[in-house]
Amino acid sequence: MISRRLLPKKYRRNLTYLAAGILIAGVTLYLALPILALFIRISPDMFFETVHDPNVISALWLSLFTTCITLAVVIVVGTPFAYYHCRYSYPGKVVVDTLIDLPLVLPPAVAGVALLVLYGRVGLLGKYFNMFGMPLAFTTLAVIMAQIFVASPFYLRQAKSLFEQLDPAYEQTARTLGASSLRTLTLVTLPMTATGLISGAVMTFGRALGEFGATIMFAGNLPGVTQTMPLAVYVGMQGNINVGLTISILLVIISFTIMIAVRLIQKREAERA
Amino acid sequence: MKEKLTLSNLVLISVIFGLLLVSALFAGCTQSTTSTPATTAATTVPVTTVATPVAAATTAVPTTVVTTATPAPTYTATEGNLVAYTAASLTGASSSIGPAFTKAYPNHKVAFNLDGTQALKTQVEAGAYADVFISASNSYTNTLKSEGYFVNDSVKTLTTNYIIVILPASNPANIKSLSDLAKPGVKIAMAAGTVPVGSATMTVLNNSAKSTYGEAWKNSTISNVVTYETSEPAVATKVSLGEVDAGFVYQSTAAASASGTYKTIAIPAKDNYLQTYTIGILKGSTNKAIAADFEQFMLSSAGQQILANYGFTAPKTS
Repeated sequence: MISRRLLPKKYRRNLTYLAAGILIAGVTLYLALPILALFIRISPDMFFETVHDPNVISALWLSLFTTCITLAVVIVVGTPFAYYHCRYSYPGKVVVDTLIDLPLVLPPAVAGVALLVLYGRVGLLGKYFNMFGMPLAFTTLAVIMAQIFVASPFYLRQAKSLFEQLDPAYEQTARTLGASSLRTLTLVTLPMTATGLISGAVMTFGRALGEFGATIMFAGNLPGVTQTMPLAVYVGMQGNINVGLTISILLVIISFTIMIAVRLIQKREAERA
Repeated sequence: MKEKLTLSNLVLISVIFGLLLVSALFAGCTQSTTSTPATTAATTVPVTTVATPVAAATTAVPTTVVTTATPAPTYTATEGNLVAYTAASLTGASSSIGPAFTKAYPNHKVAFNLDGTQALKTQVEAGAYADVFISASNSYTNTLKSEGYFVNDSVKTLTTNYIIVILPASNPANIKSLSDLAKPGVKIAMAAGTVPVGSATMTVLNNSAKSTYGEAWKNSTISNVVTYETSEPAVATKVSLGEVDAGFVYQSTAAASASGTYKTIAIPAKDNYLQTYTIGILKGSTNKAIAADFEQFMLSSAGQQILANYGFTAPKTS
Protein backbone atom coordinates (compact mmCIF):
# COMPACT_ATOMS: atom_id res chain seq x y z
CA MET A 1 0.00 0.00 0.00
CA ILE A 2 2.76 2.36 0.98
CA SER A 3 4.83 1.54 -2.05
CA ARG A 4 1.90 2.46 -4.27
CA ARG A 5 1.79 5.95 -2.82
CA LEU A 6 5.54 6.42 -2.84
CA LEU A 7 6.35 5.31 -6.33
CA PRO A 8 5.16 7.21 -9.38
CA LYS A 9 3.07 5.25 -11.81
CA LYS A 10 5.63 4.94 -14.58
CA TYR A 11 8.30 3.85 -12.18
CA ARG A 12 6.08 1.16 -10.78
CA ARG A 13 5.38 -0.31 -14.18
CA ASN A 14 9.08 -0.47 -14.96
CA LEU A 15 9.70 -2.27 -11.71
CA THR A 16 6.96 -4.74 -12.57
CA TYR A 17 8.55 -5.45 -15.93
CA LEU A 18 11.90 -5.91 -14.25
CA ALA A 19 10.51 -8.33 -11.68
CA ALA A 20 8.64 -10.28 -14.34
CA GLY A 21 11.78 -10.40 -16.47
CA ILE A 22 13.91 -11.68 -13.60
CA LEU A 23 11.33 -14.31 -12.72
CA ILE A 24 10.95 -15.58 -16.26
CA ALA A 25 14.67 -15.57 -16.93
CA GLY A 26 15.35 -17.27 -13.60
CA VAL A 27 12.88 -20.08 -14.14
CA THR A 28 14.06 -20.60 -17.73
CA LEU A 29 17.70 -20.75 -16.72
CA TYR A 30 16.96 -23.04 -13.80
CA LEU A 31 15.31 -25.53 -16.16
CA ALA A 32 17.65 -25.13 -19.13
CA LEU A 33 21.09 -24.85 -17.56
CA PRO A 34 21.39 -28.44 -16.26
CA ILE A 35 20.49 -29.76 -19.72
CA LEU A 36 23.01 -27.41 -21.30
CA ALA A 37 25.67 -28.52 -18.83
CA LEU A 38 25.27 -32.11 -20.03
CA PHE A 39 26.18 -31.07 -23.56
CA ILE A 40 29.08 -28.92 -22.42
CA ARG A 41 30.60 -31.56 -20.15
CA ILE A 42 31.34 -34.06 -22.93
CA SER A 43 33.16 -33.32 -26.14
CA PRO A 44 31.37 -34.25 -29.39
CA ASP A 45 34.23 -36.65 -30.28
CA MET A 46 33.88 -38.45 -26.98
CA PHE A 47 30.10 -38.56 -27.42
CA PHE A 48 30.25 -40.16 -30.85
CA GLU A 49 32.91 -42.55 -29.67
CA THR A 50 30.84 -43.64 -26.65
CA VAL A 51 27.62 -43.95 -28.65
CA HIS A 52 29.15 -47.01 -30.32
CA ASP A 53 29.77 -48.68 -26.96
CA PRO A 54 27.80 -51.96 -27.10
CA ASN A 55 26.30 -51.26 -23.67
CA VAL A 56 24.98 -47.91 -24.82
CA ILE A 57 23.48 -49.39 -27.98
CA SER A 58 21.84 -52.29 -26.17
CA ALA A 59 20.41 -49.98 -23.51
CA LEU A 60 19.06 -47.68 -26.22
CA TRP A 61 17.31 -50.44 -28.14
CA LEU A 62 16.03 -52.11 -24.99
CA SER A 63 14.57 -48.83 -23.75
CA LEU A 64 12.91 -48.04 -27.07
CA PHE A 65 11.60 -51.59 -27.43
CA THR A 66 10.14 -51.82 -23.93
CA THR A 67 8.61 -48.35 -23.92
CA CYS A 68 6.97 -48.97 -27.31
CA ILE A 69 5.43 -52.21 -26.04
CA THR A 70 4.36 -50.44 -22.86
CA LEU A 71 2.75 -47.67 -24.88
CA ALA A 72 0.97 -50.14 -27.18
CA VAL A 73 -0.41 -52.12 -24.24
CA VAL A 74 -1.52 -49.00 -22.38
CA ILE A 75 -3.29 -47.60 -25.44
CA VAL A 76 -4.91 -50.86 -26.52
CA VAL A 77 -6.11 -51.79 -23.03
CA GLY A 78 -6.39 -48.34 -21.51
CA THR A 79 -8.55 -46.63 -24.13
CA PRO A 80 -11.52 -49.04 -23.96
CA PHE A 81 -11.04 -49.31 -20.18
CA ALA A 82 -11.27 -45.55 -19.74
CA TYR A 83 -14.23 -45.43 -22.11
CA TYR A 84 -16.31 -48.04 -20.32
CA HIS A 85 -15.20 -46.68 -16.97
CA CYS A 86 -16.71 -43.32 -17.90
CA ARG A 87 -19.86 -44.50 -19.66
CA TYR A 88 -21.04 -46.98 -17.05
CA SER A 89 -21.47 -46.63 -13.34
CA TYR A 90 -20.70 -49.67 -11.27
CA PRO A 91 -20.14 -50.42 -7.60
CA GLY A 92 -16.65 -49.54 -6.43
CA LYS A 93 -16.07 -47.02 -9.20
CA VAL A 94 -14.59 -44.57 -6.68
CA VAL A 95 -12.11 -47.21 -5.55
CA VAL A 96 -11.02 -47.83 -9.13
CA ASP A 97 -10.65 -44.09 -9.65
CA THR A 98 -8.35 -43.87 -6.65
CA LEU A 99 -6.34 -46.92 -7.66
CA ILE A 100 -5.68 -45.41 -11.09
CA ASP A 101 -4.07 -42.41 -9.42
CA LEU A 102 -2.12 -44.44 -6.89
CA PRO A 103 1.03 -45.12 -8.98
CA LEU A 104 1.35 -41.35 -9.52
CA VAL A 105 2.03 -40.73 -5.84
CA LEU A 106 3.64 -44.08 -5.04
CA PRO A 107 7.47 -43.95 -5.00
CA PRO A 108 8.71 -46.10 -7.91
CA ALA A 109 10.99 -48.04 -5.57
CA VAL A 110 7.91 -49.06 -3.58
CA ALA A 111 6.21 -50.09 -6.81
CA GLY A 112 9.26 -52.25 -7.59
CA VAL A 113 9.22 -53.96 -4.22
CA ALA A 114 5.46 -54.51 -4.49
CA LEU A 115 5.81 -56.05 -7.95
CA LEU A 116 8.65 -58.27 -6.74
CA VAL A 117 6.66 -59.45 -3.74
CA LEU A 118 3.70 -60.30 -5.98
CA TYR A 119 5.32 -61.58 -9.19
CA GLY A 120 8.75 -62.62 -7.88
CA ARG A 121 9.75 -66.24 -7.92
CA VAL A 122 8.55 -66.79 -4.36
CA GLY A 123 5.89 -64.07 -4.64
CA LEU A 124 2.15 -64.47 -4.11
CA LEU A 125 1.37 -65.06 -7.79
CA GLY A 126 4.91 -65.44 -9.05
CA LYS A 127 5.31 -68.90 -7.61
CA TYR A 128 2.47 -70.17 -9.81
CA PHE A 129 3.93 -68.51 -12.88
CA ASN A 130 7.24 -70.08 -11.97
CA MET A 131 5.58 -73.48 -11.58
CA PHE A 132 4.49 -73.28 -15.21
CA GLY A 133 8.00 -72.41 -16.27
CA MET A 134 7.26 -68.76 -16.86
CA PRO A 135 9.42 -66.68 -14.55
CA LEU A 136 8.54 -62.99 -14.57
CA ALA A 137 11.08 -61.20 -12.37
CA PHE A 138 14.46 -60.31 -13.93
CA THR A 139 13.18 -60.62 -17.49
CA THR A 140 12.48 -58.06 -20.19
CA LEU A 141 8.81 -58.70 -19.48
CA ALA A 142 9.40 -57.46 -15.93
CA VAL A 143 10.78 -54.22 -17.34
CA ILE A 144 7.59 -53.75 -19.35
CA MET A 145 5.38 -54.67 -16.38
CA ALA A 146 7.14 -52.13 -14.18
CA GLN A 147 6.79 -49.45 -16.85
CA ILE A 148 3.09 -50.18 -17.35
CA PHE A 149 2.45 -50.06 -13.61
CA VAL A 150 4.23 -46.76 -13.13
CA ALA A 151 3.40 -44.96 -16.38
CA SER A 152 -0.14 -46.03 -17.34
CA PRO A 153 -1.95 -43.58 -15.00
CA PHE A 154 -0.83 -40.65 -17.13
CA TYR A 155 -2.74 -42.04 -20.11
CA LEU A 156 -5.68 -43.42 -18.14
CA ARG A 157 -6.33 -40.13 -16.36
CA GLN A 158 -6.15 -38.18 -19.58
CA ALA A 159 -8.43 -40.59 -21.45
CA LYS A 160 -10.88 -40.65 -18.56
CA SER A 161 -11.27 -36.90 -18.37
CA LEU A 162 -11.53 -36.60 -22.16
CA PHE A 163 -14.35 -39.13 -22.34
CA GLU A 164 -16.05 -37.49 -19.38
CA GLN A 165 -15.93 -34.09 -21.05
CA LEU A 166 -17.15 -35.37 -24.40
CA ASP A 167 -20.83 -34.56 -24.78
CA PRO A 168 -22.71 -37.89 -25.11
CA ALA A 169 -25.06 -36.14 -27.55
CA TYR A 170 -22.51 -36.66 -30.36
CA GLU A 171 -22.44 -40.38 -29.83
CA GLN A 172 -26.19 -40.58 -29.38
CA THR A 173 -26.71 -38.74 -32.63
CA ALA A 174 -24.40 -41.10 -34.45
CA ARG A 175 -26.21 -44.08 -32.99
CA THR A 176 -29.66 -42.70 -33.92
CA LEU A 177 -28.39 -42.22 -37.45
CA GLY A 178 -27.72 -45.93 -37.55
CA ALA A 179 -24.00 -46.20 -36.83
CA SER A 180 -22.90 -49.27 -34.93
CA SER A 181 -21.25 -48.73 -31.55
CA LEU A 182 -17.85 -49.66 -33.01
CA ARG A 183 -18.36 -47.22 -35.88
CA THR A 184 -19.37 -44.53 -33.42
CA LEU A 185 -16.26 -45.14 -31.40
CA THR A 186 -13.85 -45.06 -34.33
CA LEU A 187 -15.51 -42.28 -36.33
CA VAL A 188 -16.89 -39.99 -33.61
CA THR A 189 -15.47 -40.58 -30.15
CA LEU A 190 -11.83 -41.27 -30.93
CA PRO A 191 -11.33 -38.53 -33.56
CA MET A 192 -12.85 -35.98 -31.21
CA THR A 193 -10.50 -36.93 -28.40
CA ALA A 194 -7.43 -37.86 -30.46
CA THR A 195 -5.29 -34.82 -29.64
CA GLY A 196 -5.79 -35.23 -25.93
CA LEU A 197 -5.18 -38.95 -26.09
CA ILE A 198 -1.92 -38.39 -27.93
CA SER A 199 -0.63 -36.01 -25.30
CA GLY A 200 -1.60 -38.55 -22.62
CA ALA A 201 0.24 -41.24 -24.53
CA VAL A 202 3.32 -39.03 -24.75
CA MET A 203 3.32 -38.47 -21.01
CA THR A 204 3.14 -42.23 -20.53
CA PHE A 205 5.95 -42.79 -23.01
CA GLY A 206 8.15 -40.24 -21.29
CA ARG A 207 7.50 -41.64 -17.85
CA ALA A 208 8.11 -45.21 -19.06
CA LEU A 209 11.34 -44.18 -20.76
CA GLY A 210 12.60 -42.64 -17.53
CA GLU A 211 11.52 -45.52 -15.28
CA PHE A 212 14.31 -46.41 -12.88
CA GLY A 213 13.30 -47.39 -9.34
CA ALA A 214 10.73 -50.06 -10.08
CA THR A 215 12.85 -51.51 -12.88
CA ILE A 216 16.04 -51.98 -10.88
CA MET A 217 14.04 -53.54 -8.02
CA PHE A 218 11.80 -55.85 -10.01
CA ALA A 219 13.70 -56.48 -13.23
CA GLY A 220 17.29 -56.24 -12.05
CA ASN A 221 20.16 -54.85 -14.04
CA LEU A 222 21.40 -57.08 -16.82
CA PRO A 223 22.85 -55.41 -19.91
CA GLY A 224 20.81 -56.21 -23.00
CA VAL A 225 17.98 -57.83 -21.04
CA THR A 226 16.82 -55.49 -18.32
CA GLN A 227 19.36 -52.66 -18.29
CA THR A 228 17.37 -49.77 -19.73
CA MET A 229 18.87 -46.34 -20.39
CA PRO A 230 18.25 -44.84 -16.92
CA LEU A 231 19.86 -47.90 -15.31
CA ALA A 232 22.79 -47.63 -17.69
CA VAL A 233 23.17 -43.97 -16.67
CA TYR A 234 23.28 -44.99 -13.02
CA VAL A 235 25.84 -47.74 -13.60
CA GLY A 236 27.78 -45.49 -15.96
CA MET A 237 28.12 -42.78 -13.35
CA GLN A 238 29.76 -45.31 -11.04
CA GLY A 239 32.32 -46.36 -13.60
CA ASN A 240 32.79 -44.75 -16.97
CA ILE A 241 31.25 -41.30 -16.60
CA ASN A 242 31.24 -40.81 -20.39
CA VAL A 243 28.73 -43.63 -20.75
CA GLY A 244 26.48 -41.90 -18.21
CA LEU A 245 26.78 -38.58 -20.01
CA THR A 246 26.26 -40.04 -23.47
CA ILE A 247 23.10 -41.91 -22.52
CA SER A 248 21.81 -38.86 -20.68
CA ILE A 249 22.25 -36.81 -23.83
CA LEU A 250 20.52 -39.48 -25.90
CA LEU A 251 17.59 -39.42 -23.47
CA VAL A 252 17.40 -35.63 -23.70
CA ILE A 253 17.38 -35.83 -27.49
CA ILE A 254 14.64 -38.47 -27.52
CA SER A 255 12.51 -36.51 -25.04
CA PHE A 256 12.87 -33.30 -27.03
CA THR A 257 12.02 -35.02 -30.30
CA ILE A 258 8.85 -36.46 -28.82
CA MET A 259 7.84 -33.14 -27.32
CA ILE A 260 8.36 -31.27 -30.56
CA ALA A 261 6.47 -33.92 -32.52
CA VAL A 262 3.51 -33.62 -30.17
CA ARG A 263 3.54 -29.85 -30.36
CA LEU A 264 3.40 -30.08 -34.16
CA ILE A 265 0.55 -32.59 -34.10
CA GLN A 266 -1.43 -30.46 -31.67
CA LYS A 267 -0.83 -27.34 -33.72
CA ARG A 268 -2.02 -29.03 -36.90
CA GLU A 269 -5.06 -30.38 -35.07
CA ALA A 270 -5.86 -26.90 -33.74
CA GLU A 271 -5.56 -25.39 -37.21
CA ARG A 272 -7.89 -27.99 -38.71
CA ALA A 273 -10.54 -27.50 -36.06
CA MET B 1 -6.73 -0.67 -9.48
CA LYS B 2 -6.90 -4.00 -7.79
CA GLU B 3 -4.63 -5.60 -10.36
CA LYS B 4 -1.98 -2.91 -9.97
CA LEU B 5 -2.01 -3.35 -6.25
CA THR B 6 -1.17 -7.04 -6.54
CA LEU B 7 1.55 -6.24 -9.05
CA SER B 8 3.29 -3.84 -6.70
CA ASN B 9 2.98 -6.46 -3.99
CA LEU B 10 4.61 -8.89 -6.38
CA VAL B 11 7.51 -6.51 -6.83
CA LEU B 12 7.85 -6.16 -3.09
CA ILE B 13 7.76 -9.92 -2.58
CA SER B 14 10.33 -10.59 -5.29
CA VAL B 15 12.65 -7.95 -3.85
CA ILE B 16 12.37 -9.55 -0.40
CA PHE B 17 13.01 -12.98 -1.91
CA GLY B 18 16.01 -11.65 -3.76
CA LEU B 19 17.45 -10.16 -0.60
CA LEU B 20 16.83 -13.40 1.26
CA LEU B 21 18.53 -15.36 -1.48
CA VAL B 22 21.57 -13.09 -1.49
CA SER B 23 21.87 -13.20 2.29
CA ALA B 24 21.47 -16.99 2.31
CA LEU B 25 24.17 -17.30 -0.34
CA PHE B 26 26.41 -15.00 1.64
CA ALA B 27 25.81 -16.95 4.83
CA GLY B 28 26.47 -20.20 2.93
CA CYS B 29 29.79 -18.89 1.59
CA THR B 30 31.11 -17.65 4.92
CA GLN B 31 29.87 -20.82 6.56
CA SER B 32 31.83 -23.16 4.34
CA THR B 33 35.10 -21.95 5.83
CA THR B 34 34.08 -23.06 9.32
CA SER B 35 33.50 -26.59 10.48
CA THR B 36 29.73 -26.48 10.82
CA PRO B 37 28.60 -28.02 7.49
CA ALA B 38 29.94 -31.38 8.50
CA THR B 39 28.19 -31.14 11.82
CA THR B 40 24.86 -30.28 10.29
CA ALA B 41 25.24 -33.00 7.70
CA ALA B 42 26.00 -35.53 10.37
CA THR B 43 23.17 -34.52 12.65
CA THR B 44 20.46 -34.07 10.07
CA VAL B 45 21.19 -37.10 7.97
CA PRO B 46 20.08 -40.43 9.41
CA VAL B 47 22.57 -43.26 9.32
CA THR B 48 21.31 -45.15 6.31
CA THR B 49 20.54 -42.31 3.92
CA VAL B 50 22.93 -40.97 1.34
CA ALA B 51 24.40 -37.67 2.52
CA THR B 52 25.12 -35.81 -0.69
CA PRO B 53 27.05 -32.57 -0.46
CA VAL B 54 24.12 -30.66 -1.91
CA ALA B 55 21.86 -31.80 0.91
CA ALA B 56 24.51 -30.86 3.44
CA ALA B 57 24.94 -27.40 1.94
CA THR B 58 21.24 -26.62 1.72
CA THR B 59 20.56 -27.79 5.24
CA ALA B 60 23.49 -25.73 6.42
CA VAL B 61 22.10 -22.48 5.04
CA PRO B 62 18.82 -22.25 6.98
CA THR B 63 20.55 -23.36 10.16
CA THR B 64 23.01 -20.51 9.96
CA VAL B 65 20.19 -18.04 9.50
CA VAL B 66 18.64 -19.40 12.68
CA THR B 67 21.82 -19.48 14.70
CA THR B 68 22.26 -15.71 14.36
CA ALA B 69 19.17 -15.37 16.54
CA THR B 70 19.83 -18.25 18.92
CA PRO B 71 22.89 -18.74 21.14
CA ALA B 72 26.03 -20.06 19.48
CA PRO B 73 26.09 -23.84 18.93
CA THR B 74 27.69 -25.77 21.74
CA TYR B 75 30.51 -27.15 19.68
CA THR B 76 33.70 -27.96 21.51
CA ALA B 77 36.92 -29.58 20.45
CA THR B 78 36.07 -32.79 22.28
CA GLU B 79 32.81 -33.21 20.46
CA GLY B 80 32.08 -33.95 16.88
CA ASN B 81 30.03 -35.63 14.27
CA LEU B 82 31.79 -37.50 11.52
CA VAL B 83 30.63 -38.38 8.07
CA ALA B 84 32.03 -41.75 7.09
CA TYR B 85 31.67 -42.86 3.46
CA THR B 86 31.59 -46.57 3.95
CA ALA B 87 31.57 -49.56 1.62
CA ALA B 88 28.10 -51.12 1.54
CA SER B 89 29.43 -54.51 2.61
CA LEU B 90 29.97 -52.96 6.05
CA THR B 91 26.26 -52.15 6.38
CA GLY B 92 25.71 -54.75 9.09
CA ALA B 93 28.86 -53.88 11.00
CA SER B 94 28.15 -50.14 10.84
CA SER B 95 25.11 -50.55 13.07
CA SER B 96 27.47 -51.77 15.83
CA ILE B 97 30.40 -49.50 15.02
CA GLY B 98 28.38 -46.29 15.46
CA PRO B 99 27.22 -46.89 19.06
CA ALA B 100 30.54 -48.48 20.07
CA PHE B 101 32.48 -45.45 18.80
CA THR B 102 30.20 -43.08 20.71
CA LYS B 103 30.70 -45.22 23.80
CA ALA B 104 34.47 -45.17 23.48
CA TYR B 105 34.62 -41.47 22.61
CA PRO B 106 31.71 -39.77 24.39
CA ASN B 107 30.08 -36.95 22.43
CA HIS B 108 31.55 -38.26 19.19
CA LYS B 109 29.11 -39.50 16.60
CA VAL B 110 29.54 -41.02 13.20
CA ALA B 111 27.02 -41.03 10.35
CA PHE B 112 27.55 -43.60 7.61
CA ASN B 113 26.87 -43.11 3.94
CA LEU B 114 26.70 -46.72 2.78
CA ASP B 115 26.90 -47.55 -0.90
CA GLY B 116 29.07 -49.47 -3.32
CA THR B 117 32.64 -48.11 -3.11
CA GLN B 118 32.45 -47.15 -6.80
CA ALA B 119 29.40 -44.96 -6.10
CA LEU B 120 31.05 -43.36 -3.05
CA LYS B 121 34.18 -42.70 -5.07
CA THR B 122 32.12 -40.94 -7.76
CA GLN B 123 30.42 -38.84 -5.08
CA VAL B 124 33.73 -37.78 -3.51
CA GLU B 125 35.12 -36.92 -6.93
CA ALA B 126 32.02 -34.81 -7.55
CA GLY B 127 32.78 -32.80 -4.41
CA ALA B 128 30.88 -34.67 -1.70
CA TYR B 129 31.96 -33.85 1.84
CA ALA B 130 33.25 -36.74 3.94
CA ASP B 131 35.66 -37.06 6.84
CA VAL B 132 36.52 -40.72 6.53
CA PHE B 133 36.43 -43.04 3.54
CA ILE B 134 36.26 -46.79 4.05
CA SER B 135 36.91 -48.47 0.72
CA ALA B 136 36.35 -52.11 -0.16
CA SER B 137 38.84 -51.89 -2.97
CA ASN B 138 42.52 -51.17 -2.95
CA SER B 139 42.45 -49.99 -6.55
CA TYR B 140 39.75 -47.36 -5.87
CA THR B 141 41.71 -46.25 -2.79
CA ASN B 142 44.80 -45.82 -4.93
CA THR B 143 42.85 -43.88 -7.55
CA LEU B 144 41.50 -41.49 -4.93
CA LYS B 145 44.98 -41.22 -3.46
CA SER B 146 46.55 -40.33 -6.76
CA GLU B 147 43.79 -37.80 -7.38
CA GLY B 148 44.75 -36.16 -4.10
CA TYR B 149 41.60 -36.72 -2.07
CA PHE B 150 43.25 -38.56 0.83
CA VAL B 151 45.56 -37.40 3.59
CA ASN B 152 47.99 -39.94 2.20
CA ASP B 153 49.73 -41.21 5.34
CA SER B 154 46.33 -41.73 7.02
CA VAL B 155 45.36 -44.51 4.60
CA LYS B 156 45.66 -47.86 6.38
CA THR B 157 44.54 -51.41 5.74
CA LEU B 158 41.38 -51.99 7.75
CA THR B 159 40.32 -55.55 7.18
CA THR B 160 39.98 -58.23 4.52
CA ASN B 161 37.25 -60.39 3.07
CA TYR B 162 36.99 -63.48 0.86
CA ILE B 163 34.36 -64.25 -1.76
CA ILE B 164 31.78 -66.94 -1.08
CA VAL B 165 28.72 -68.29 -2.87
CA ILE B 166 25.43 -68.08 -0.99
CA LEU B 167 22.25 -69.97 -1.82
CA PRO B 168 18.74 -69.55 -0.45
CA ALA B 169 18.21 -71.91 2.52
CA SER B 170 15.72 -73.93 0.42
CA ASN B 171 18.33 -74.30 -2.35
CA PRO B 172 15.75 -74.36 -5.16
CA ALA B 173 18.25 -75.20 -7.90
CA ASN B 174 19.80 -77.99 -5.83
CA ILE B 175 23.31 -76.62 -6.08
CA LYS B 176 25.88 -78.81 -4.38
CA SER B 177 29.16 -77.51 -5.72
CA LEU B 178 30.67 -74.73 -7.75
CA SER B 179 30.35 -76.81 -10.91
CA ASP B 180 26.54 -76.80 -10.48
CA LEU B 181 26.52 -73.04 -11.04
CA ALA B 182 26.95 -73.72 -14.75
CA LYS B 183 23.87 -75.94 -15.00
CA PRO B 184 21.32 -74.55 -17.47
CA GLY B 185 18.47 -72.65 -15.82
CA VAL B 186 20.34 -71.70 -12.66
CA LYS B 187 19.76 -68.04 -11.80
CA ILE B 188 22.74 -66.18 -10.43
CA ALA B 189 23.08 -62.68 -9.02
CA MET B 190 26.42 -60.95 -8.86
CA ALA B 191 27.68 -57.42 -8.52
CA ALA B 192 28.55 -55.28 -11.53
CA GLY B 193 32.18 -55.12 -12.60
CA THR B 194 32.57 -51.62 -11.22
CA VAL B 195 31.59 -52.79 -7.72
CA PRO B 196 34.63 -54.14 -5.83
CA VAL B 197 32.89 -57.43 -5.02
CA GLY B 198 31.94 -57.72 -8.69
CA SER B 199 35.49 -57.45 -9.95
CA ALA B 200 36.61 -59.85 -7.21
CA THR B 201 33.93 -62.29 -8.37
CA MET B 202 35.23 -62.13 -11.92
CA THR B 203 38.73 -62.87 -10.65
CA VAL B 204 37.40 -65.86 -8.73
CA LEU B 205 35.59 -67.14 -11.83
CA ASN B 206 38.74 -66.76 -13.91
CA ASN B 207 40.91 -68.47 -11.29
CA SER B 208 38.46 -71.34 -10.84
CA ALA B 209 38.12 -71.81 -14.58
CA LYS B 210 41.86 -71.95 -14.99
CA SER B 211 42.57 -74.27 -12.06
CA THR B 212 39.63 -76.68 -12.11
CA TYR B 213 36.47 -76.13 -14.12
CA GLY B 214 37.51 -74.77 -17.50
CA GLU B 215 36.41 -71.92 -19.76
CA ALA B 216 33.09 -73.55 -20.74
CA TRP B 217 32.07 -73.64 -17.08
CA LYS B 218 32.93 -69.99 -16.67
CA ASN B 219 30.99 -68.96 -19.75
CA SER B 220 27.84 -70.87 -18.82
CA THR B 221 28.05 -69.55 -15.26
CA ILE B 222 28.24 -66.01 -16.54
CA SER B 223 25.38 -66.62 -18.94
CA ASN B 224 23.32 -67.75 -15.91
CA VAL B 225 23.69 -64.32 -14.33
CA VAL B 226 20.29 -62.64 -14.36
CA THR B 227 21.24 -59.37 -12.68
CA TYR B 228 24.33 -57.28 -12.04
CA GLU B 229 23.61 -55.46 -8.80
CA THR B 230 25.19 -52.16 -7.82
CA SER B 231 26.25 -53.14 -4.31
CA GLU B 232 27.14 -56.24 -2.31
CA PRO B 233 24.10 -56.22 0.04
CA ALA B 234 21.81 -55.96 -3.00
CA VAL B 235 23.15 -59.33 -4.20
CA ALA B 236 22.56 -60.86 -0.77
CA THR B 237 18.99 -59.50 -0.70
CA LYS B 238 18.16 -61.09 -4.05
CA VAL B 239 19.36 -64.43 -2.65
CA SER B 240 17.62 -64.13 0.73
CA LEU B 241 14.35 -63.28 -1.05
CA GLY B 242 14.76 -66.51 -2.99
CA GLU B 243 14.57 -64.63 -6.28
CA VAL B 244 17.83 -66.14 -7.51
CA ASP B 245 19.46 -69.52 -6.92
CA ALA B 246 22.93 -68.28 -6.03
CA GLY B 247 24.89 -65.12 -5.44
CA PHE B 248 28.52 -64.13 -5.09
CA VAL B 249 29.09 -62.10 -1.92
CA TYR B 250 31.69 -61.57 0.77
CA GLN B 251 32.27 -64.17 3.45
CA SER B 252 31.35 -61.57 6.07
CA THR B 253 27.79 -61.39 4.74
CA ALA B 254 27.32 -65.13 5.06
CA ALA B 255 29.03 -65.24 8.47
CA ALA B 256 27.02 -62.39 9.96
CA SER B 257 23.62 -63.51 8.69
CA ALA B 258 21.14 -65.21 11.01
CA SER B 259 21.61 -68.96 10.89
CA GLY B 260 19.34 -70.61 8.36
CA THR B 261 19.26 -67.61 6.03
CA TYR B 262 21.66 -69.04 3.49
CA LYS B 263 23.44 -72.18 2.46
CA THR B 264 27.00 -71.48 1.44
CA ILE B 265 29.53 -72.94 -0.96
CA ALA B 266 33.10 -72.06 -0.12
CA ILE B 267 35.62 -71.14 -2.77
CA PRO B 268 39.05 -72.74 -2.24
CA ALA B 269 41.64 -70.25 -1.00
CA LYS B 270 43.89 -70.86 -4.03
CA ASP B 271 41.17 -69.64 -6.40
CA ASN B 272 39.71 -67.03 -4.06
CA TYR B 273 40.38 -63.32 -4.07
CA LEU B 274 41.25 -61.59 -0.82
CA GLN B 275 39.61 -58.18 -0.92
CA THR B 276 41.48 -55.55 1.08
CA TYR B 277 39.52 -52.80 2.82
CA THR B 278 41.21 -49.51 3.60
CA ILE B 279 40.33 -46.63 5.87
CA GLY B 280 41.58 -43.11 5.31
CA ILE B 281 40.96 -39.49 6.21
CA LEU B 282 39.98 -37.15 3.41
CA LYS B 283 41.88 -33.94 2.78
CA GLY B 284 38.67 -31.92 2.75
CA SER B 285 37.72 -33.01 6.26
CA THR B 286 37.23 -30.20 8.75
CA ASN B 287 37.22 -32.70 11.62
CA LYS B 288 40.58 -34.35 11.06
CA ALA B 289 41.30 -34.85 14.77
CA ILE B 290 38.05 -36.68 15.36
CA ALA B 291 38.48 -38.54 12.08
CA ALA B 292 41.86 -39.71 13.39
CA ASP B 293 40.14 -40.86 16.59
CA PHE B 294 37.66 -42.83 14.53
CA GLU B 295 40.38 -44.41 12.43
CA GLN B 296 42.30 -45.35 15.54
CA PHE B 297 39.13 -46.85 17.00
CA MET B 298 38.53 -48.93 13.89
CA LEU B 299 42.11 -50.22 13.93
CA SER B 300 42.06 -50.87 17.70
CA SER B 301 41.23 -54.27 19.11
CA ALA B 302 37.70 -53.05 19.94
CA GLY B 303 37.04 -52.02 16.36
CA GLN B 304 38.65 -55.15 14.92
CA GLN B 305 36.55 -57.27 17.30
CA ILE B 306 33.34 -55.76 15.89
CA LEU B 307 34.56 -56.51 12.36
CA ALA B 308 35.44 -60.05 13.40
CA ASN B 309 31.95 -60.46 14.87
CA TYR B 310 30.56 -59.57 11.47
CA GLY B 311 32.68 -62.15 9.72
CA PHE B 312 35.56 -60.04 8.47
CA THR B 313 39.09 -61.45 8.46
CA ALA B 314 41.71 -59.36 10.23
CA PRO B 315 44.54 -58.35 7.88
CA LYS B 316 47.75 -60.32 8.18
CA THR B 317 50.27 -58.28 10.16
CA SER B 318 53.37 -58.31 8.07
